[in-house]
Amino acid sequence: MFDNREITLDELPAADDVEWRSLAARYVRRLQVQSLITTTVTAVGVVLLQAAPLPITQRWLFGLAWLLIGASGVSGLLWPFVSVPRKGYAIRDKDILYRSGVFWRTVTAVPFNRVQHVETSSTPLDRYFGLAALQLFTAGGSGGDLKIYGMPADVAESLRLFILEKAGASIERT
Amino acid sequence: MSAPDADGWQRTSPFAALFYIGKIYQAIAKNAVQSLAPLAAFLVAFQGDMKDKLAIGIGAFVLGTVILAVLRYWFFRYRITDTSVLIRDGVFKRTQLDVKFERVQAVNTEQNVVFRMLGLLTVSFDTAGSSGQEGYLPAIHAESARELRDRIRRVPKPISDAANSGEKADRRDAATRTLLRLTAGDMVRIGLSSNRVFLLVVLIGPISEYMEREFGEIVEESAVVEFLTQAQTGLMSGLAFGLLLALGILVLLFSISIAGAFLRFHRYELVADEDVLRSTGGLLTRHEHSVNRSKVQSLHASQHVVLRLFRRFRLRARQASSGRVGRGSDFIVPICTGDLLADLSLEFFPQEFSGLSLDPRAPGFERISPYYLRSRIVLIGVVPALVAIALFWNSSGIAALVALLWIPACAIIVWQKYRRYGILYGQDGLALRSGLIGFSVVAWLHRKVQRVSVTQSPFQRRRDLATVRIFLAAGSAIRIPYLEQAKAKALRDYVLYRVESSEVAWH
Repeated sequence: MFDNREITLDELPAADDVEWRSLAARYVRRLQVQSLITTTVTAVGVVLLQAAPLPITQRWLFGLAWLLIGASGVSGLLWPFVSVPRKGYAIRDKDILYRSGVFWRTVTAVPFNRVQHVETSSTPLDRYFGLAALQLFTAGGSGGDLKIYGMPADVAESLRLFILEKAGASIERT
Repeated sequence: MSAPDADGWQRTSPFAALFYIGKIYQAIAKNAVQSLAPLAAFLVAFQGDMKDKLAIGIGAFVLGTVILAVLRYWFFRYRITDTSVLIRDGVFKRTQLDVKFERVQAVNTEQNVVFRMLGLLTVSFDTAGSSGQEGYLPAIHAESARELRDRIRRVPKPISDAANSGEKADRRDAATRTLLRLTAGDMVRIGLSSNRVFLLVVLIGPISEYMEREFGEIVEESAVVEFLTQAQTGLMSGLAFGLLLALGILVLLFSISIAGAFLRFHRYELVADEDVLRSTGGLLTRHEHSVNRSKVQSLHASQHVVLRLFRRFRLRARQASSGRVGRGSDFIVPICTGDLLADLSLEFFPQEFSGLSLDPRAPGFERISPYYLRSRIVLIGVVPALVAIALFWNSSGIAALVALLWIPACAIIVWQKYRRYGILYGQDGLALRSGLIGFSVVAWLHRKVQRVSVTQSPFQRRRDLATVRIFLAAGSAIRIPYLEQAKAKALRDYVLYRVESSEVAWH
């Protein structure tokens, strides 16, 4: 029979009382490697530029460039240690939660019955580390659909199938 | 219109070429450089005097567009089946489009002067999730357009809206009800309150600067010649002339704007027809827009300075946007009174609007946390001012302290914005009021929400505050700033509960 029990706000499941699952630990390493690669490539570029017989009079610009490269290299190596542990996700029966941010902390919730489709993707570097990104698409032009990087590839794939099934089931009901 | 061939494919009326000419000119206007480059290149290469060049250029241009338009008409075929409209289009690049009736959100029509005399219409379809590629049928008979619309409406949609069957029967008795007819007075109000006029006023700025320079010269000359009295009258007449000129430009701008309102909204009529709201209007080209109530994602009422003087509102009903951001699928009521605004919100969200209101002065709007003031004034007032002082201290010395004036100016704006923010908690949805000089109120239903997020900045964490973002299928995220943390989280949990327990489709 139709049942319409009154819901008090205290009874509602709170999206904070969940056990957060952290991203794969090797995601830290993966981010560091990427930052190392980009830093190295830029550094090589600057070295070549410096060595080239170009009529550059403002030599101090190179000092600035090295400073920036050094800063971004160091932060690229250290920042993942801080940011990755702050990221995490939780799967509930009817939605997925994702938290992120070190200073500005955000918790995003996507109900499964609003998911249009689910995708996993991985770059070559991701695949080397056995990682994948899970992306959930909801309706609307607001962009920035929920994308969770740094999941173990097998977890991402099984989550994709799980969410797809949940989303499909909800479509049939409506 | 040709008779359908054996497979049911048919052409539209040859007058469709007119429609295509319009479309081609639009395309040219959009990317003028690329489309006119070949012609320009030819003309540069062509030997001859200017007159010949111009004549040939214009002739080639007109001939080219006409030929292209006729070709497009010739290759355009459509076929109406039981479940969809099939469209074959394109001269060089052939496309076939299958507009499924069940996916059509709204059928819009357009009728320019020529088409109106001939009883022809251009029909376009709003479909869910087709970005860019919208289907349209140019220049078909009004009768077949009506038939098509009825047919589309009769197709049972795979999704059903809230509280259907019983209520639908009630509505059918009422058949079509007229909700709003705009008068000439309304046209004037729309014209006067158009944002575009203010944009143009900004352009007057440089002109006034020029005039100031002129006055300056007059003053200097007068000093030299020492014809004091004469010079004074010269200055006065110069001032008067300047004022008159400015006034004249302003009047001209407003007249253009009012004429624009007449063009777009002449004989505007808003009609409720079962589960569809439909508006028609326009002086030369008559536009007809329709929106399915259940497809509306959010309602936006706005009232800026001029509309406030008139005690009128502008209402925008947003449908699910299919990837492309922008106007496109918004249903607009250009001007309406407060009473009508309340009626219209009930038209769009029939049974779920209790406790909500689009009127910014409605009772029950709750303030956000006053800490909003502090953090904003520090962030965009104090910090930039101090940075500016630090930067200019060496060069300007004590004069750098002028930057401190930025702080009170900023504080006033932040204070005003804080006072405008208001949240109205309804049974099934939420209304958020914001604004600076004017007002804008957006209202939506919890069950239509797609995603929710709660964010806390370091400052907010210290004060137990949070900012909630609501993502709907239409438009960008709605930000509810500086709620108490407990309230923000309760709101999120409640929205999630409403979404996840909803058995009704959101679209």
